[in-house]
Amino acid sequence: MTDPFDALRAPVEPVDPDPRFAAELRERLQRAVLNGGEMTSTEASVKLRSLTPYLAVSDARRAIEFYVEVFGATRRGDPIVMPDGRIGHAELAIGDAVLMLAEEFEEIGHVASPGGASVRIEVSDVDGAVERAVARGAELLRPVGDSGYGRGGAIRDPFGQRWLVSQAPPRTATGTGPRHGEAAYFTFQVPDDEAAKVFYGGVLGWRFSPGSTETAWGVEGNGLFGGLWGGPGRQVGWKLMYAVDDLEAALARVRELGGQTGEVEHQPYGLSADCVDNQGIQFWLLQQP
Amino acid sequence: MRPDPAFALLELYEAALPEVYGYLLSRCGSVAVAEELTSETFLGAVTACRGTGAPPVSTRWLIGVARHKLVDHWRRREREERGLRLVHETGTVDPWDEELDALLAREVLAELGAHHRAALTLRYLDGLAVPEVAKLLGRTVHATEALLVRARAAFRTAYRRKEGRDD
Repeated sequence: MTDPFDALRAPVEPVDPDPRFAAELRERLQRAVLNGGEMTSTEASVKLRSLTPYLAVSDARRAIEFYVEVFGATRRGDPIVMPDGRIGHAELAIGDAVLMLAEEFEEIGHVASPGGASVRIEVSDVDGAVERAVARGAELLRPVGDSGYGRGGAIRDPFGQRWLVSQAPPRTATGTGPRHGEAAYFTFQVPDDEAAKVFYGGVLGWRFSPGSTETAWGVEGNGLFGGLWGGPGRQVGWKLMYAVDDLEAALARVRELGGQTGEVEHQPYGLSADCVDNQGIQFWLLQQP
Repeated sequence: MRPDPAFALLELYEAALPEVYGYLLSRCGSVAVAEELTSETFLGAVTACRGTGAPPVSTRWLIGVARHKLVDHWRRREREERGLRLVHETGTVDPWDEELDALLAREVLAELGAHHRAALTLRYLDGLAVPEVAKLLGRTVHATEALLVRARAAFRTAYRRKEGRDD
């Protein structure tokens, strides 16, 4: 007797899915294959940022060597080699960013654009980098010079990519310090620091650690870099310290626009000056070392 | 430096997609679920094919991955259904030799609990031997045979009800 359930046998019959779904999945698959998931994590110190250039180059092995020697790049994991010998995916860490590259794969649309990609790169030694690049066969597009936007030059490397090589801004020890115009320090000035500690500790859960003077306190839990300062005779409320590139020049602008400036003081964290704006609000300016 | 097998997946994608999707659609009966499981199959295959000892990428292998995703799907469904289901399963094996109406059978399958549906699909639609079904479901062969007996009984009951002759 045959088993009636055998009638259920259903060999695979191909069905074309919704083309939009098919295209979407192809794109996701391509990303999963190219971005390689766990294959990219050999070097943990540099994280992927919001934006990562992905280059299509003619000779990936030589290109990797070039970027290592010219830009001081470090290899991130082993490149993925295709059965036909082409490099299917490789990653380099440059500064705090990641550069991805692969040789051309026309079948998936990964091809170099005519003229190459244009990538802006910051290096600590612009002249040296451009010199090394040219010595290794790069075409000099713009010699190193001072433009209105800092020192920089441009090259086209032997693999067809344009690089806008720019002087990296000075970094503080902890990474990128506040840039010109950004608030660097927040001081909350109150007549009675003990009363403020009880109030804000009770309402917002801030915690306080002893500061540089008896009535100064570090504040933890308000999301700002700064402290609490109690005592009479000071403007009450938040007083901000703004970073500037050139303190003398900034002080001159303050006076020019109707503000007042105090003496330049040498602090462990840089040069600072007490100022009042043209409406009477106090602030500090800071030039970091 | 080593060749990356995942690139073979990209090359195979156009040819394998209708096969994988067709397999899943005919077994789960819902476009949304079939699309979800198809995505899981291909994206999961990227990692799976890079694993040590993974077989070469082929459509057949992808159908195997899809089968695992389908089993996982039913397992999730079963967990959801478990709280609702009555613990009432007949275990009798009566001789039953009528010809099944394929369309009606498909409807009946869709109404069964996920655990019964999984067992019957793997055993009969996919035509796998009981030990293979057992392996996929993570049960012993003995337990799988018992499950198949109960699944067939549940199927028959539902099938007869659908035919309009409750007996």
